[in-house]
Amino acid sequence: MCGIVGYAGRRSALPILLDGLKRLEYRGYDSAGVAIVGSGLQVFKDKGFIANLEAQLPPLDGPTGFAHTRWATHGPPSKVNAHPHVDCTGKIALAHNGIIENYVSLREKLEARGHKFVSQTDTESLVHLIESYYDGVIEEAVRKALHDVRGSYAILVVHADEPGKVVGARNESPLVVGLGPDENFLASDVPALLRYTDKVLYVMDKEIVVITPKGVTIQDLEGRPVSRESQRITWTLEDAEKGGFEHFMLKEIYETPKAIHETLLGRLANLEVDGFLSKDITSVKLVACGTSYHAALVGKYIIEEIARIPASAELASEYRYSQGPSEQPLVILLSQSGETADTLGAAREARRRGCKTLGIANVVGSSLTREVDKTLYTRAGIEIGVAATKTFIAQLVALYLIALKMGQDRGTLGYDELDRMKDDLRALPRAAQYVLNKADEIRALAKKYGSARDMFYIGRHVNYPVALEGALKMKEISYIHAEAYAAGELKHGPLALVTKETPVVAIAVDDPTYEKMRSNMGEVSARGSPVVAIGTEGNRELPKFVDDVITVPDIPWIFSPVPVSVALQLFAYEVARLRDCAIDRPRNLAKSVTVE
Amino acid sequence: MGPFTASEPKVMIPVGNRPILEYVVGALVDNGVRDLVFVVGYRRERIQSHFQDGKAFGARILYVTQSKQLGTAHAVAEAKPHLGESFVILTGSNMVDSRFVADLLQNAGKPSVMITESEHPRSYGVVTARGKELISITEKPVEIISNLINTGAYALDSRIFEEIDALAKDGRHDLPSAVSTLAQRTAVQAVRTEGTWIDALYPWDLLRLNAAALKDAPQVRAGTIEPAVTIRGRVAIGEGCVIRSGAYLLGPLAIGPGCEIGPNAVLLPSTSLGKGVRIGALTTVSNSILMDDVILGPSSVVQDSVVGSGVSARAGLLAASGPGDVQIEGEWHPVPQVGALLGEDVEIGNGVSVAPGTVVNERARVESGARLRGTIPAGAVVL
Repeated sequence: MCGIVGYAGRRSALPILLDGLKRLEYRGYDSAGVAIVGSGLQVFKDKGFIANLEAQLPPLDGPTGFAHTRWATHGPPSKVNAHPHVDCTGKIALAHNGIIENYVSLREKLEARGHKFVSQTDTESLVHLIESYYDGVIEEAVRKALHDVRGSYAILVVHADEPGKVVGARNESPLVVGLGPDENFLASDVPALLRYTDKVLYVMDKEIVVITPKGVTIQDLEGRPVSRESQRITWTLEDAEKGGFEHFMLKEIYETPKAIHETLLGRLANLEVDGFLSKDITSVKLVACGTSYHAALVGKYIIEEIARIPASAELASEYRYSQGPSEQPLVILLSQSGETADTLGAAREARRRGCKTLGIANVVGSSLTREVDKTLYTRAGIEIGVAATKTFIAQLVALYLIALKMGQDRGTLGYDELDRMKDDLRALPRAAQYVLNKADEIRALAKKYGSARDMFYIGRHVNYPVALEGALKMKEISYIHAEAYAAGELKHGPLALVTKETPVVAIAVDDPTYEKMRSNMGEVSARGSPVVAIGTEGNRELPKFVDDVITVPDIPWIFSPVPVSVALQLFAYEVARLRDCAIDRPRNLAKSVTVE
Repeated sequence: MGPFTASEPKVMIPVGNRPILEYVVGALVDNGVRDLVFVVGYRRERIQSHFQDGKAFGARILYVTQSKQLGTAHAVAEAKPHLGESFVILTGSNMVDSRFVADLLQNAGKPSVMITESEHPRSYGVVTARGKELISITEKPVEIISNLINTGAYALDSRIFEEIDALAKDGRHDLPSAVSTLAQRTAVQAVRTEGTWIDALYPWDLLRLNAAALKDAPQVRAGTIEPAVTIRGRVAIGEGCVIRSGAYLLGPLAIGPGCEIGPNAVLLPSTSLGKGVRIGALTTVSNSILMDDVILGPSSVVQDSVVGSGVSARAGLLAASGPGDVQIEGEWHPVPQVGALLGEDVEIGNGVSVAPGTVVNERARVESGARLRGTIPAGAVVL
């Protein structure tokens, strides 16, 4: 399996070829190379990834050429075996995808006639064969040569003396032509072309194609012209990457169970949390911005509840400029990208204060990981949607791991208790899946409440920051004004804003604060507000005094932020979708905030 | 498949630790077929999340959501905008190997249907052929005319759409009928294959698929293996696993990433454990599928069983194998060797014993000390 891309046009070919090659990397990548015809033929190749080639590439300029990524079949991956291959005159370059079956006999014949071979590949025999037939018109030489060849191939050929022309041919290996204005393309597969054109035509077996900036001609191996209709590709590159989902955000919400698995992987059984040791820690400060700050706030409750260590959370942009008290907490810094400017500043400030630092980041090798003593990676996978979803959940999972580890090291958790909590963590992917299975119900609620202008979110204890995050999601992507309060704070002001026009989302899972939540929900519904409660499966009384219930599975309450967050993310997503918002790229926002 | 498809489409049920559909994709890619169109419907997000754009599987996958689940012909018609002049059609829930796909591709260009012999022709479309030429396909015949059945794998070209459109006007949307009417107009090959084609009609069939899949299981050792663990045969141990001292692992076995196998646990062939499974101390599991996130407490016995994702059982579960009568959709099926069929997210207390052939549907909760037999409905509480 190899991938090829060719270009004949008016622009510089190189960047187009490299971009196309990257889209074909899935077809194999042990070496790569390019051939450019500008002022003469220039060839450059090396083993390794395409990025490797790109890093070493001299500036090759010319409007015609092709590139190749190789997956070794004949001859090990090496610079000399990489494509393109050139003939003895150094004027013809060829890249090949497939296998030439009779290359041994071809090679013997050609060597007998004085051709010099430099590689062990089956491909090289073909370029010398073409050379032997060359008589001023490259496609004629290719056509004659292919009569002598047995095997499968998709090839691209250029000749130094015929600039502006790329010849292709195929037999049992794919080759597609992309049609542009004043430029044309050849590739093994459509994604390599999609950025430049959606008009393609397919080359069939035993056909030769010639592209120039002005046009495309196809002939069969007997030299008879072939006419072929072009087709329009109806999908986009981004569609392909979204894997059938409407938005990256939705795709990423559905990746939550996987993100949890990955974050727990290999860490749970023996609580090996990337070498993190919790000895000599007397208190914890969690510092972050935005969604990560909400994870930090949840972390405060988790660590205090499970490990019984005093913990507090602070915004990175505030922490940086505050006066540090004399105590020296462990400072945990959270940033999905690891590039958040304020969080990086806070990490430096924590070190200046003489604190130990632990980073929680998703992007491997990011700046944060160089500013802290130790890093715990969340391994949630790349997140493209601007609104953080699966990475928030993965941050929570990382915090549970840290809390369990601290609880174990400090002896605040007994062996049985620890064992049970590990099983509770193991159940979290299923808890997230439970909510994902309720997507249809959540969509129906989004329809019912999505036209509101304002919304309120309330919760208590560990689910108070989850309410903050739920409201932030709603604001970010649906542009509905959403505010979250600790439910106990309602009476201290916000209740004045509650009317029958303002739906209230209440997190009321079965936990020690449930009774209090029940009276808070009573307060708002008494003022006419519709109440959507997030409640525990099996709670029979909840549906009787609220308007709607989204259920989450019956798991120990300290872990409830995971399924509740998934429910609130889906709710925000469905509302934004109904309102036709630019979900993956909300206005005025960027994925990672690298300015202060 | 009811107990195992509450949150999972049938094609995503794991055998040998990979969804059935992944074997189909693998067989296609092995044969150089990389442009795939998935027609999806029920719980399509599970399929899309796993396969994404196909890159990780060496393919490029486009998804078409079937607006209404009318039938297989309708599904193919929905994919029409993405199909070229000729194409092959496969059913995602039938396990096939590369040989099967190679035989299918041999006939590309000529309309063809892949056929095979079956012991249960009554459950399938029975094929009538003259020589190698298809005459007709009869769905689930009352009278057995032949033991040759339609595998649901076809090589077709755009001519089939005329037949599909014509039948749709009569409210018929199944592909075998469309292929039968096509056969009246033009030659359709009925192709027999030596390749593998296995369908899972009933949950216990999954154990057969699992054993077949594990035959080619790779030998992989990852994670932490404590001292005094015995490993024999082909055993794949995923990343991040911890295998405790005294465990006895006899292949073929596939153990997914992040599993914890307790001290002195015994795993016997042919068993698959999904992601994040925990097996307690002194527990024995043989010839079974344990899907993702299953927790089995200490001192349990699980044989010839299928255990759905998220099932948790405390200490002393007894799900030993034996002859059992299993009730599926009101019909009784005698199965010579079967253990328990435990649906997704079933919770089981201490010391529960399960008679061979018992079906516990998803999200049922079984209290400690219960003895189970027959069929337990979804979400039920057994005291």
